[in-house]
Amino acid sequence: MTRLQMETTKMDTYDLTPIVEPERNTEDTQIDMSVTRCSGTCAIISAQDFSLYYGSKAGVKEVSMDIVPCAVTAIIGPSGCGKSTFLRSINRMNDLIPHTRAEGRLEVNGHNVYDKRTNLVHLRQQVGMVFQKPNPFAKSIFDNIAYGPRLQGIRKKGELVQIVEECLLAAALWDEVKDDLQKSALALSGGQQQRLCIARALATRPKVLLMDEPCSALDPIATARIEDLIGQLKSAYTIVSVTHNMQQAARISEYTAFFCLGELIEYDKTSKLFTKPSKKQTEDYITGRFG
Amino acid sequence: MKKFRVTIWEPWLTVWGRVALATRRGFNALFTSSAHFSVILLVILLLIFLVPMIRRGGQAVVFRGTNEFRELQWDLHTRGDAEEIEAETRHVESLRAQFYQRLDQFKRGIDIAQRVDEAKQIYRAYGKELERRQVRGEEKRALRSKCRKVRDQFIDAMEETNADAAIEKLELVLTYRSDPEFQNTAVDDLFRQALDYKTIVKSIDLADREKYAKPLEEVQNALVLLWGPRPEESLPPLTQNRYGATRWDMAQKNLHTILYATEWVSQGDGQPLVKKEMRRDQSKTQFKGTPLESWFGDLEANVESMLNPRWTVYWQYFIDDSTPGHYFGGVGPEILGTLLLTLLAMAVAVPLGIISAAYLVECAGDNVVVKIIRTCVNTLAGVPSIVFGLFGLAFYILYLFPKLGLPPQKCILSASLTLAVLVLPVIIRASEEAIKSVPQTYKEASLALGAGRFRTFITVTLPAALPGILTGIILSLSRAAGETAPIMFTGAAALGPIPESITEPTRALSYGGYDLAVGDRLAMLVPHNQYGMVMTLITLVLLLNVIAIYLRSRMSKKLRGY
Repeated sequence: MTRLQMETTKMDTYDLTPIVEPERNTEDTQIDMSVTRCSGTCAIISAQDFSLYYGSKAGVKEVSMDIVPCAVTAIIGPSGCGKSTFLRSINRMNDLIPHTRAEGRLEVNGHNVYDKRTNLVHLRQQVGMVFQKPNPFAKSIFDNIAYGPRLQGIRKKGELVQIVEECLLAAALWDEVKDDLQKSALALSGGQQQRLCIARALATRPKVLLMDEPCSALDPIATARIEDLIGQLKSAYTIVSVTHNMQQAARISEYTAFFCLGELIEYDKTSKLFTKPSKKQTEDYITGRFG
Repeated sequence: MKKFRVTIWEPWLTVWGRVALATRRGFNALFTSSAHFSVILLVILLLIFLVPMIRRGGQAVVFRGTNEFRELQWDLHTRGDAEEIEAETRHVESLRAQFYQRLDQFKRGIDIAQRVDEAKQIYRAYGKELERRQVRGEEKRALRSKCRKVRDQFIDAMEETNADAAIEKLELVLTYRSDPEFQNTAVDDLFRQALDYKTIVKSIDLADREKYAKPLEEVQNALVLLWGPRPEESLPPLTQNRYGATRWDMAQKNLHTILYATEWVSQGDGQPLVKKEMRRDQSKTQFKGTPLESWFGDLEANVESMLNPRWTVYWQYFIDDSTPGHYFGGVGPEILGTLLLTLLAMAVAVPLGIISAAYLVECAGDNVVVKIIRTCVNTLAGVPSIVFGLFGLAFYILYLFPKLGLPPQKCILSASLTLAVLVLPVIIRASEEAIKSVPQTYKEASLALGAGRFRTFITVTLPAALPGILTGIILSLSRAAGETAPIMFTGAAALGPIPESITEPTRALSYGGYDLAVGDRLAMLVPHNQYGMVMTLITLVLLLNVIAIYLRSRMSKKLRGY
């Protein structure tokens, strides 16, 4: 068995509590655990006329899309078009900004994320996020990665060591830091810190990885390594990546969504979108007539 | 320093442009130079204030201590080599004895009343002796009348104001010296005194014998201050009177009082009196021309050998208790009191302050009530400390303690609670700023992993805000340690034992400094204690600050990762 296959089976030993607290008196509460990740066409993330308002201004307007599991979806578009807003809505990070309001449905595995019963802690453990600027905690590398599992209640040192090693291997950082895991995470270089953040997000065994322009703060070599990493991870996780760099989108993703001024203009396979886009706006953007 | 080369003459600049440019250059230079100047001025001012304080405060610990000091240390604290101290004391006393002797001699010479008394006593003693020898009747009466005659002549001679006439009368008295009835009797003493008196009668101004009494008393009192009470005298009850000058500088001041007499001379009507000093052995109104004239010169020359000053480092100053009134001893209880008050106040204020700041930043909404709370906190940071002192007295001691069953008296508890209220606004303000300045990305990372808001605060926000919070703590530490007004009514005492529990008052450095400054007579006698107390306070606060700054820099390093 390859290591990734081992990881997939290990998944069963982790806490797979549903994102929504199960209530006995409502229907449709148990998620179907038999749905594994690599199920081909079953969408895990699904938006139906989803809008998010900052006060009275709309960040995203009536977006409807189904994100394909076990694949990389890139979201491209000019600045201020709502890509990051949409991404952050998926794990409800927009709640940190005051006066936000959501309309429509945004579902992860069939459950409305903006439902009042949604358990945010569980949601965020299942939907991991990596940010634009690497933001490791001011702790050691070990403590950074063990933060998530410790939140889930895993206390035993042996288990934590194992998880840390697996995540660092998955994030292609193990060889560089294995000698001293107690070193401060802030002493790493930018690229290493970003890979550490990815490893940290992987430690909670999420189903989805959201990446908000993960390579924009890094140099080309580190960018290449992160892109490789994304390529390796996509067979086990659903990855949604917002990027400013169209070429990067073309390199890493299978599906691409093009946003503009808060609306989803086109969502298609990458190969088709970049060669024969169906909307004029998309073509204009890709060829560089605006952006 | 880069110099802006001449750009004024660029052809495309208008006249106004050139003027503007020149003005800008001028202001630039003015700004830089005034910044340098203010730094230099600050350093000079600091030096002016601090250097004398450090010097004089240092004298409380490092000074030339005399043998009186070493005796004192042995008696009170059993410090030092007993044999060495004893040997030193004996040696010094033997040297001093001569000076005492000469002084006593002179004193006897002018103390007529005493001599007269003594003569009468000798007469009575002679009478008793005669009775003992069983001389009776006529013989006894004859001898007694003879003795009486001698005595009366002696008294006459004593009271005679003309030197030559006095000597004549003394000669008369001394003719009886060879009489066999008076040999080996009490009357011998009388003849000895007559001889004694003869030696000095020429040298003093007999007419004004009384005028020597007052200066002599002054000299004797000053001598007690210099050398302590005489070896044969009984010990006075107060410790501070039992020893002479323990410090060489104090000794020199006492010596000055011995050598110089001060007089207040009038300059005329309505003019203030002017102090005039004159040396006692050179002034006719003092001791010039008397046998005591050389005494002063000898004393001045030999005083060092009679006090044995040696450089001492009295580091126990910081540990010792002081004799009541701070005459001798150290500031140990004061340091303890200040530390207790400060640390207790911090232990109450810091958690309360951090939690309040966390509430104000994280949980409080944006409504009017929160705005009012914030304004109140910011205002309280500037309230004068005497108000806090009175508040502490009114609220804690007079209202709260009876309710809790504690005696309504000054104590450490109320003082530190008052100090806690004093520093709380500063801590809240600093913590609020620090927590607000933690970047959003830190919190986002933690929240995105599924941590709740409280968990995020404890594990991410608080450690990141800790350097700023520590700054607030440093500022309030200095304030709490050095404030006098809040503890004046609520917990500080000027004298008293070391407190046993926190329901008792304590001494403190700040209050002690105030008390010594206000109790004026004492401060003049022990200026080194005053400066020492103040310098100890400054040093203590500096030490606490250094520790806190070190902690803060270590935390900052951890946050930066290297």
